[in-house]
Amino acid sequence: MNHKLLSPCVRTPLVCFLLALPLSGVAEMSPLADEVLSGVSGQGGIYLSGDIRINEVGGPIENSYFGRCDDATKKCGARFAYRLKETGGWLVLDDIRGSFAFEGLTLGLTTIDSGFAGDGDLFNGDALELGLPNTVRFSDVRFKIAASNAPRPTDPGFQQTDIFAVEMQGNVIMEGNLLVFPAGNP
Amino acid sequence: MRFTKAHSYTIAFPSGVILLAMASHAVADMRSLDDSEMASVSGQSGITLEMDLGVTADRVSYFDDGQGIHLEAFRVGSASDSSGTAHHLVKVDIGSDASLNLDYLVEDRRIEFGDIRLAGAPGLGIGGMYFDHSLQGFLNIKSGGAVGGEGYTFDTAYTMTGGRLGYRTNGNEVFLDGITMDVEALGITLDVVDDTLRLNAPRVVGNWQVDAIRYSGNPLNHGVSVDAGTGALLPSYGGLSGQYDLSSRTDIAAGGRNGQGLRIDNETTIHSASFLYHDDANVIALRDITGTYKVNDLRLDVTSDWQNRPALALTLGSMEGHFNIGAIEMGVNGKNVGEVNVSFLFGDRMFNGRTYTNAIYLQGGGHADAGPQGLRLAAEWSLQRADVSYKEDGNRVIFSGLQSWGRGDVTVNVTRDEVRGGTRFYDGLRVGFEGVSAGYRINGLRVGSEDAKLQGGTELLLALGFYPAYEFELDGHVTLGAGGASGEGITVNSDIRIRNGKAAIIADPYDKGAGEIRQKGLWISELEYDAHLRDMTIDATEDGLAMVTGEAWSTMDIGNLRVGDKSKGRSFGRFVLQKYETGSSMAIIPGGAGNVCVGGQGSSATACQATGGIWETRGDEGITVRLEKKLARALNDTRKNAFSWETNRQLDGIGNPVNGTGTGLVLNDIYTSDGGDFDGDGLEDNAFGIRTDLAVDVYQTKVLKKQDGPDSLGVVGAKGDEKIMDTGAAQGYRYTSNPTPGDLNNRPLGFAVKARSRFKELSINNIDLVHPTGGAQTAVYGVKMQNFDIRANLTATPIP
Repeated sequence: MNHKLLSPCVRTPLVCFLLALPLSGVAEMSPLADEVLSGVSGQGGIYLSGDIRINEVGGPIENSYFGRCDDATKKCGARFAYRLKETGGWLVLDDIRGSFAFEGLTLGLTTIDSGFAGDGDLFNGDALELGLPNTVRFSDVRFKIAASNAPRPTDPGFQQTDIFAVEMQGNVIMEGNLLVFPAGNP
Repeated sequence: MRFTKAHSYTIAFPSGVILLAMASHAVADMRSLDDSEMASVSGQSGITLEMDLGVTADRVSYFDDGQGIHLEAFRVGSASDSSGTAHHLVKVDIGSDASLNLDYLVEDRRIEFGDIRLAGAPGLGIGGMYFDHSLQGFLNIKSGGAVGGEGYTFDTAYTMTGGRLGYRTNGNEVFLDGITMDVEALGITLDVVDDTLRLNAPRVVGNWQVDAIRYSGNPLNHGVSVDAGTGALLPSYGGLSGQYDLSSRTDIAAGGRNGQGLRIDNETTIHSASFLYHDDANVIALRDITGTYKVNDLRLDVTSDWQNRPALALTLGSMEGHFNIGAIEMGVNGKNVGEVNVSFLFGDRMFNGRTYTNAIYLQGGGHADAGPQGLRLAAEWSLQRADVSYKEDGNRVIFSGLQSWGRGDVTVNVTRDEVRGGTRFYDGLRVGFEGVSAGYRINGLRVGSEDAKLQGGTELLLALGFYPAYEFELDGHVTLGAGGASGEGITVNSDIRIRNGKAAIIADPYDKGAGEIRQKGLWISELEYDAHLRDMTIDATEDGLAMVTGEAWSTMDIGNLRVGDKSKGRSFGRFVLQKYETGSSMAIIPGGAGNVCVGGQGSSATACQATGGIWETRGDEGITVRLEKKLARALNDTRKNAFSWETNRQLDGIGNPVNGTGTGLVLNDIYTSDGGDFDGDGLEDNAFGIRTDLAVDVYQTKVLKKQDGPDSLGVVGAKGDEKIMDTGAAQGYRYTSNPTPGDLNNRPLGFAVKARSRFKELSINNIDLVHPTGGAQTAVYGVKMQNFDIRANLTATPIP
């Protein structure tokens, strides 16, 4: 079974940037040679394809702030707010919308008993294997980064500052497998 | 002519003795007929017997190897008058072929016994049973059986009306009310073959109906449909009805598993049958049922169980068979969910180093605190193999190699709402579990037919709420009360505790064809699970089946999430999931997703394909699950929604991690809300919750090869080639770069799920990081998610 490094080939620079963020922790990984892969045997699991759409036409709330997407005076996306200080303000991802489509996301197990510059031999056990889909299509994915003084837009005295907006379109090629090793101290 | 019965009986069988200990009194007096009664008797051939029968006995006993079981307070008499008699009218005629013909009419008869007790278990009883009925029919008996002139041949047909079949413990009853039944069985033969009594029924046809299954918690009620105090109809679980056309052969021989007893062998073929559940005006129907089953070496003994408790034992050599349910219909239009087929073999087998058999030891007592009467079933089972298939719109998936094993006590009591002996009981039929150690596992999937190649992919069952493999120790109860959200239906209260659980999220086959192997997977191990359910109503509705929960809370403490071996695989750490919901609901609706555009947009095939999507026509059958989960705010440490992950735990003296000693991440007090107090009651509204619709179909899906070269089964293809099922290929499939229209009709089958999940507001009160010495430190002071509407079309198939 071929295990390659996560190697996103991106057709839009922004998507490439965003995908790079969560991958920084594995920046030192490199593609595995075939001889390294010889100790990996295939196991059972499932193969997933499909699409996920967030707030395609709006969400379940209709009030002074949220509405349907054909109402230009309202926001129809989802909202995610959190705060890191007990009495502080809220960091917000607002008006989250968009859709993702993919083919061939796999979830299964694999045995690692060699390779990985000798680490595989030391590990000599089973790992969770997430096989990345070859292609992920992003369609009208968008959200805003904002800061607000209250979690709900309907709270009294609500104020919010939109910092910047993100929009994504296009295809992302994601090849290889993500291996999750239970290697720590439980 | 009128007869009155008042007799004592002693009946001996070769394998045991039935003793009617005492006929306590004659109920009716013998008298002569007056002229007016005589006037109604016209001259006929044969004899007419008219009886008003009342028989009581303190005890009827059966002895087997010196151990006895006693039916106490036995009575035959009137069903409507506890001191009255049952009217019998029998016309006896001898046919020209020397056959004996009995035309009979039985009115208002009750056969009952107040308790069943086992010698050696003083103070404990199984409980009482009663059977009310009126019968009209005939019985024709001819000499000569199936194998010669020594036997008999029977033809019979009857109609039963006003039937009632009840079970009573400690003054509480559950009973089938308003039973009607038509039965015709012609050509039944009875022969003695060697030392075996053989009963052969070439064809038995009939239909039946139960108006209501009722519950009474009033000790003053006994075998009545209305409450003695209020006069109101007793609450009902709903009604049943059905029809059947079957044939069977039964062999009965002397000799139990040990010494005296009975041996029964049976083979039955169900040519057609149906089973319907009625809830008010709504019906859930299992139709077009066919199948066969064979019972081999079933023994009946009065003996002791493995804990030396006196019991009536039913021990089984083996039982095998298969059933097919052609249609499962529900909802106002009787829409079909699909077709289910089950084949099974129960027989002795070793699981986890221990041999399991199939046996039930019936004992008296039930739950220790419920009162002296109740049923305790010390049970052991061994399901060697079963295949369960589901077919909808012509697509079939087989869950192959289901095995199950277990041992423990199951108690049955009819209870009422009270605290008794320190135990909380609820109205209804209580099924308790005490020390049940059990498990099951599934080997893999087959698609299309039983002889198709075995595949992985049992994880697909998670979409239906089942683990592919599960071992556990179970205690607790499920109490089924009468009456749903309105009118008929079922109300469930339960408290369940699982210990030492091991459940698979991902599971490899346990046998790939070369014998049993260690089943690898992603395992929830060292699971401690406490779940409590209050006032969950279950009703058949116009849409399908609806379940509404009053209050539910649970703690799922996963000691280790392991990869590989379920007991020794490396661990991701400890995970604890707490749930607390009020007013949540679930509806099961027939019919799946219908037409779907996967990966694109559009309401037609052309529009969908123009946006890069795949247009799928998933048909009319399938199943839709509609969930409404209302996560309540934390009430206390046990009733709240929270999630925690703990690692780096200290080890005890034998190397096991000690919970609560490591570092942790805690998402505390997770709850849903409508986003404000809109009804002005001072509390935030929580009527919307998380609403999720899941439409599940078995459907073909596009599967692409992800790497060049051979896959795990050695089938060669290039990256991007499509997988096509092909019975002519060595592994049952092949890869092709340019699938033909014919190939596209043979895409792999899997589960297709169309999902939509919405919530107005989902909050996390705080997210803490826990240090083993520094304690919890809050990292995030609140998370609030609003206005989410997530739709997904996902297809899941086994990995090639």
